[in-house]
Amino acid sequence: MRRIGRAAEQEEGMMENIVEMPKEQLIGTVQKMMSEGYRFVTATCVDNGNETLDVIYHFDKEYELINYRLTVGKDEEIPSISKIYFGAFLVENEMKELFGLKITDIVIDYGGHLLLSDDELDAPMAKRQIVIEKKGEKQNA
Amino acid sequence: MPKTVIPFGPQHPVLPEPLHLKLVMEDEKIVEAIPAIGYVHRGLEKLTEKKEFTQNVFVVERVCGICSAMHALAYCQGMEKLMGVEVPDRARYLRVIWSELHRMHSHLMWLGLLADAFGFESLFMQLWRNREKVMDIMEETAGSRVIISVNIIGGTKRDLSEEMLAKIPAVLDEIYKDLKQVESVFLNDYTVKHRLVGVGVLSAEDAHALGTLGPMARASGIRMDHRMTGYAAYGELDFEPVVEKGGDCYARTVVRLKEVYQSIDLIKQAIGKIPEGEINVPVKGNPNGEVISRVEQPRGEVLYYMRANGTKFLDRLRLRTPTFANIPALLKMLPGSQLADVPILLLTIDPCISCTER
Amino acid sequence: MFDMIRNVLKNMVSKPATRNYPLYKRPSFKDTRGRVGGNDMEKCIFCGICSRKCPSQAIKVNKTEKTWEIDPFKCVICGECASVCPKKSIYMDEQYTPAAYRKEKSILVQPSEPAVSDDRVIA
Repeated sequence: MRRIGRAAEQEEGMMENIVEMPKEQLIGTVQKMMSEGYRFVTATCVDNGNETLDVIYHFDKEYELINYRLTVGKDEEIPSISKIYFGAFLVENEMKELFGLKITDIVIDYGGHLLLSDDELDAPMAKRQIVIEKKGEKQNA
Repeated sequence: MPKTVIPFGPQHPVLPEPLHLKLVMEDEKIVEAIPAIGYVHRGLEKLTEKKEFTQNVFVVERVCGICSAMHALAYCQGMEKLMGVEVPDRARYLRVIWSELHRMHSHLMWLGLLADAFGFESLFMQLWRNREKVMDIMEETAGSRVIISVNIIGGTKRDLSEEMLAKIPAVLDEIYKDLKQVESVFLNDYTVKHRLVGVGVLSAEDAHALGTLGPMARASGIRMDHRMTGYAAYGELDFEPVVEKGGDCYARTVVRLKEVYQSIDLIKQAIGKIPEGEINVPVKGNPNGEVISRVEQPRGEVLYYMRANGTKFLDRLRLRTPTFANIPALLKMLPGSQLADVPILLLTIDPCISCTER
Repeated sequence: MFDMIRNVLKNMVSKPATRNYPLYKRPSFKDTRGRVGGNDMEKCIFCGICSRKCPSQAIKVNKTEKTWEIDPFKCVICGECASVCPKKSIYMDEQYTPAAYRKEKSILVQPSEPAVSDDRVIA
């Protein structure tokens, strides 16, 4: 049987290895990951439904994942990690555009034009009530 | 020396899918390159929040036409772990067979497009003629050529009959013979080597720091293949990842060519070891919790993150496809190269833009 | 270079790899998912499971009026309706949906009578 790493005892199932982290430790932790040789996989943003957003960063070494979770309000700013890991600029631009998460100092900043065009709604993936007014009658989307 | 900006536009004869690059040039050498995507954004992640979790398999399959069964496989594996469903053995082997057929047809298509990019059209036709045999197998076994819809939560929908299990190795042997004749053109021809050797070199440290995946990383010397973790039935099959040390376009071509042979071998091993049994189990109840699942696609590793809250609808489905992680590597390879090499460099990352933008 | 020349000469004398399409059509394989062929109205019990499972909401079932309709241009030919039907009355066909002039009016409505089966197509 050929299995490597922790996947030998249990498959990557329910997310083990998830660590909560306050916003101030983000840059320090990411620099520690870089110096230990971890590869940056991706970052995920989830809307919790109660005016907070969860941002989860995934790192990988030898087929094992480590995940760090930050919980921020919709108006807080978080720093960018693209100066440490260059490959993160695309995913940070996407999170900024689709969720309205405020990220400062991205290495190449598209200013909201990476995926969406000008005549669409801002931040379409965030969970909000949208009210469409149509010639006198109102409907909810 | 004055700089000019040339748009390598979204429509270009060499690109399979629309991708825009702004190239800042001095004479014929590129100084800087900035990509722009967003031409095929369909908003599929939002659509999966509106459909039930059993109907999401069909939405997720249609993210990309080339690797469609592997997207469904990653989604089904994640949901099965979340709901505690145990897939029968025969279904695991069937999933391996269909995934390896997808890998073969994706790499054959890529080799043909590369030959077309440097102008060698008859080689392109030879490779795509072999690809048609693979598509015919998929139509005969699963019902459709491109989007095969065989993976569901709990197993597979269709089975392979005894005569198909005997016919598939015969077709694979024909493909093997044809490919052996064509292989020496890719590897030893003087003009082809002149276009590929030394173009777009990426060292192993750069590839690791940028997070490249799949055949691009394996061609730079990083030994990383997600099939070694043993999902589906890969734990019981015998293979090694294909690694080369050159780091240039020639090494990436060699890696993908050898992976076609490796897939032929894996399918024959799986057909030899497939057990009897049923092909799916019924699934009851609703999912609850978070899970991550990863699968090795032809272009690299794909990551699925799912969060469910106990109802029929998922809270969030996030997918990160391998081309999304390979685009920053393109930005490091382009500066310093000539304008005539840009099509070859773009094609070596194997861009699948409909996966990138969902 | 000489390998390719040998290949080219061999291709010049052998028969072409392509088919003369409109004059000769390849027969379809068995079980190809071409389109939803229809519903056998004698067996249908109007439970509505096919309508709930359809990922593109192409099927509408009306139990009181005993009608079953499908929009063939919304259908993605996944085959779920045929596999979850409890009476196995929906069947798939091997031919693809032919092109039509109007999309919105090609809805096939087949009402069923208890004794006489009456296929009326409303176009």
